[in-house]
Amino acid sequence: MSVVVLALAALWIGGGTLWLLARRRYHWREVPAFAMDLIGVPVDLAQRLFGRGGVPYALLLPNMLIFGIFTFAPMILNFHVSFTGGASIHLLDRPWVGAANYGAIFDCETYLSPRTCSNEGYDFWTGMFNTLAFVAVQVPVLCIVALLTALVVNRNIVGRGFWRAMFFYPVMLSPVVIANIWNWVLHRKGALNAALGGSAEGLTAMAGLAGFDMVVSVVFAVALMVTSERALRGSLAWAAVFGLLFACVFAWANPLAMIGLGGSFWVGPVLATGVVWAVAIAHRRARWAVASASVVSILLLLTVQFDAVFAFDRVRPVNWLVTPNTGWPFFWLVFVFCWSHMGFYMLILLAGLQAIPRDLYEAAKMDGTKPARAFFRITLPLVMPTLTVVLVLSLIRSFQIFDEVWLLTGGGPGRETFMIVQHIYETAFTGDRPEYGEAAAGSVLMAVVIAVFTFVQLFVTRRQSEF
Amino acid sequence: MTAALELKGICKSWAEVEVIHGIDLTVDEGEFVVFVGPSGCGKSTLLRLIAGLDDPTAGDILLSGKRVNAVPASERGLSMVFQSYALYPHMSVRANLSFGLENLRMPRAEIARRVMEAAKLLQIDMLLDRRPGQLSGGQRQRVAIGRAIVREPLIFLFDEPLSNLDAELRLQMRVEISNLHRALGNTMIYVTHDQVEAMTMADRIVVLRAGRIEQVGRPLDLYNRPANRFVAGFLGAPQMNFLRGTIAGAGTMALDCGAIVNVPLAAGVDAQPATLGLRPESIAVSLDGTGDMTVTVQNYEQLGAITYIYTTFPNGETLTVQQSRQIPLRRGQQIGVTFDADSLHVFAGEDETALMLKERQT
Amino acid sequence: MGVATFLTRTKGTADRARRFGIADLLAYGYLLLGVLVILMPVAWTFLSSLKGERAIDGFDTRLLPMAQVEAEVEGQGVKPVWTWTAPDGTTRDVVKAGPTRRETDVVALDDPDTVLRVPRTTLAPNERIRVATENYLDPILGRNGQDNFAFFTYLLNSVFVTVMATLITLLINAMAAFALSKYKFRGRLTFTILIIATLLIPSSIILVSLFFVVWSFGIFGSLWGVIIPAAATPTGVFLLRQYMLTIPDELLDAARMDAASEWRIFWRIVLPLSLPALSVLAILSVIWRWNDFLWPLIVLISDPAQHTLQIGLTAFSGEFDSDFHYILAMTVVSLVPITLVFVWLQRFITTGIATTGLK
Repeated sequence: MSVVVLALAALWIGGGTLWLLARRRYHWREVPAFAMDLIGVPVDLAQRLFGRGGVPYALLLPNMLIFGIFTFAPMILNFHVSFTGGASIHLLDRPWVGAANYGAIFDCETYLSPRTCSNEGYDFWTGMFNTLAFVAVQVPVLCIVALLTALVVNRNIVGRGFWRAMFFYPVMLSPVVIANIWNWVLHRKGALNAALGGSAEGLTAMAGLAGFDMVVSVVFAVALMVTSERALRGSLAWAAVFGLLFACVFAWANPLAMIGLGGSFWVGPVLATGVVWAVAIAHRRARWAVASASVVSILLLLTVQFDAVFAFDRVRPVNWLVTPNTGWPFFWLVFVFCWSHMGFYMLILLAGLQAIPRDLYEAAKMDGTKPARAFFRITLPLVMPTLTVVLVLSLIRSFQIFDEVWLLTGGGPGRETFMIVQHIYETAFTGDRPEYGEAAAGSVLMAVVIAVFTFVQLFVTRRQSEF
Repeated sequence: MTAALELKGICKSWAEVEVIHGIDLTVDEGEFVVFVGPSGCGKSTLLRLIAGLDDPTAGDILLSGKRVNAVPASERGLSMVFQSYALYPHMSVRANLSFGLENLRMPRAEIARRVMEAAKLLQIDMLLDRRPGQLSGGQRQRVAIGRAIVREPLIFLFDEPLSNLDAELRLQMRVEISNLHRALGNTMIYVTHDQVEAMTMADRIVVLRAGRIEQVGRPLDLYNRPANRFVAGFLGAPQMNFLRGTIAGAGTMALDCGAIVNVPLAAGVDAQPATLGLRPESIAVSLDGTGDMTVTVQNYEQLGAITYIYTTFPNGETLTVQQSRQIPLRRGQQIGVTFDADSLHVFAGEDETALMLKERQT
Repeated sequence: MGVATFLTRTKGTADRARRFGIADLLAYGYLLLGVLVILMPVAWTFLSSLKGERAIDGFDTRLLPMAQVEAEVEGQGVKPVWTWTAPDGTTRDVVKAGPTRRETDVVALDDPDTVLRVPRTTLAPNERIRVATENYLDPILGRNGQDNFAFFTYLLNSVFVTVMATLITLLINAMAAFALSKYKFRGRLTFTILIIATLLIPSSIILVSLFFVVWSFGIFGSLWGVIIPAAATPTGVFLLRQYMLTIPDELLDAARMDAASEWRIFWRIVLPLSLPALSVLAILSVIWRWNDFLWPLIVLISDPAQHTLQIGLTAFSGEFDSDFHYILAMTVVSLVPITLVFVWLQRFITTGIATTGLK
């Protein structure tokens, strides 16, 4: 193997040097030029032998060779390996076991519950379901946050370049660095818990002051009146602020408790979203909705005891990444993934936003179109193709999540964040007896799932963009 | 003396579509030949075939008597000036000029000498260290020509080199290229769609249409004796007037607009539908309405030295008249026109070839 | 123009200046949140890495690196210094002379022979700002038994992988892109489709068989096993192809008339003119290769001499789970090069990727 490589290299460098020097003298300053000419000797040779028609093939050769050997060949080989067993790394030594590896994965009593599977099946299905859950949460969150950020940094704000760079910065960091940073922040005695504890203590202390309730009530009342007045005029941004205040007041007042029901915490935001939505699409009942919401919120405000709301018990520090059955490890995984990848998708969306001609907005302004309406009727449809690209890219990327999980939670606590790539990695490359066949079978199944998802997504978004 | 360039039955197809249909042409040493024709006539394609940038589907290309079909562009010893100049934007003017010579592995001293010589000739010697982006349109044009000169080529090929310049600069560069041809004496082949450039610069014009040669000849020969209606209409501005009619027999032609015109046709021409062509400058007008025919003035342009009058016949056919004097006119006025019998052209037949006239047979 | 108008005006020319609206307020609020979420963790890690081992282990959440002053006491060695506030309000520097109890025995530094018994609550650590350079120097120089983190080896390996892979990527991707964008030849569509297909094959599903392939080529366990498989990137080919399509064909024809060979046209004309796209690809490639994790983990984990910075740092973090002060310092060290590059080139990177990168 290496003999062939060395011989080829010698032929290339030696023969090429002779050939070049025979045709032309190089000045000693032209050493870089000589090096480039030397690299191109095979291409020149192709042009000599086959004319200009042979050149593109010679140019494509190295790239396609690497693609062929290190991407396409493994793709095919994956199927072969998935039908073989044993721990040998010599392909010819591996015994053919038929579909046994797949059989082990599908050896379940009920497919919806990985616990009823064989060991291999348990690992695979746990990983698969966790990954699917992760993708289902991650992709929409990532896209919405990226779009929101792109919209914000696309505004005419001071220091645009800095903000763009700041949001992109985490993309430059390596997974190990990201994991170490967040491990440190999310530690039980880390900065996050300290900050939460500190602010809780501060608020509790403030709530203990005399007259706190009245002052806060008045502040809230004024804020609600001002924002609802602006929202009545149809400003989406003000409506959003009003919605936020409304949701807070609703949650604190907890009106549903009066009729013996829980869930005020969720009902408030839902109602607020409804109001904001009505304003956003300029619904004919929008003014009515804002007006009634503001009356309701003022009434509710009277019942809120702010000194009670802001009096916290001592905050118990949470061990964010290792406490089982809290959902926190999963939450932080989504958060950190978003943190580290959002900037890239933001840039793509930003490019899409900037490709929208400015005069469209100017024309809309001349027609008296409200900014919110311009967003839904101009920005969103025109940025849709870019958003589709972002969706597909982030889907494929999220499916392959490994680095962050492996370094932050190691798949734990228990198997709560055990992802499919970790399953493949651990099956094949850790442990005393590597199960290459099993891992390859898992890879093939994962490829099938990704392919299905990508095609469904492309199909759905294509149908949408036809309108 | 062998011809500098010979084309024998050249054909070119792009994926089933034939764009050049068998062209035969000989270009002599030192000649300035202009290929002219409307866009899409294949003139640039023909130039690229000569240059070796594309390969002909059929036919032979001979340079100084040697068949060069299989010789790549780089070894044919031609040089070309492109429409967009195609200067290498990342290289200085000096590097642009010397790039080709370096590729030919010429000694450094010789390269420097030739670059300096060409730069002096074109008066760009003070621009040698600038980049093309820092030059004006005319300067870029000179650099592009300079790049062609330093190669000391067998034939210069120009592909619409003046079309990106404004009118004034175009006039100036036209004269300069003509002077250059006189000074260097090389064979030049020049492609343009502008008939003024063709008329002013060429030793010989090749008029092309839809991949075929329509006529080859000296500029004034083409102007005075166009082979067909296309050539007649293409050369000359304003365009030649064309009036439909019928050849009524020996020497007369009945026009659709009502007039009967005497045309000195050669013998043996059958009665048939035909088109009468006459140049705008060979029409005399009389303001009092007398003359062969009466026409209505639709519009007119007074340029001072020249007056263009756009008129219509009662049947709607139009007639453009050019007078080299100032004439008081108003729209709707009836004026009389008289045709100069010596400069009439008659086109008949399917491809509207010119019919021979008696006086011109010499 | 009133002061209020002046202060609330947003960026723009005078005629386009408009009042600072609620939408701007929300936008700046969002940006502020961004600073908090993105820059704070990094800044916090950096500040923490400057703290001494004791502060790290005690999870001292103050921003500045405070360390307790230590003093040499005769016959007792080096001991931490406390500040004792006497009932009359005066303070003295003391060290503890016995176990910490409600009433603790201490001796004053200026009077080491007298043992005082004072309440524990009157003692406060005597602290001052001290940057814990040993966090950085110990692992890097291999002092104090910290010889498991061969920083310079890792750095060298990382730099080698990044530079070699980027050079190879630029060269072969540019060659392929040149062929696909500037030549008409049989099979061009097939090659283009093959490359699109590669774009859609996620690297993690071919991990196992790629391992077999790399093993059979004998480059498993060496840096080349990381460099070569990743050298041909479909993204790079596409990015460069799109850019090269904008180079006018006439320029290539002019070079052909100038007797340049096709290879010479490639590296004298096309490569220099594609410089904007090439630099974007170079930046992307540097980010990818420098931060690469899973594949180097598989290929290089068994031989510490071949570890890249990322793998070395992982192994180090895994081995010394408790030595957070070293881990944080080394995290900062591996974060610094890429941060410097970013700060230096940030405008170019963001606009480059946004405009050239994905058309």
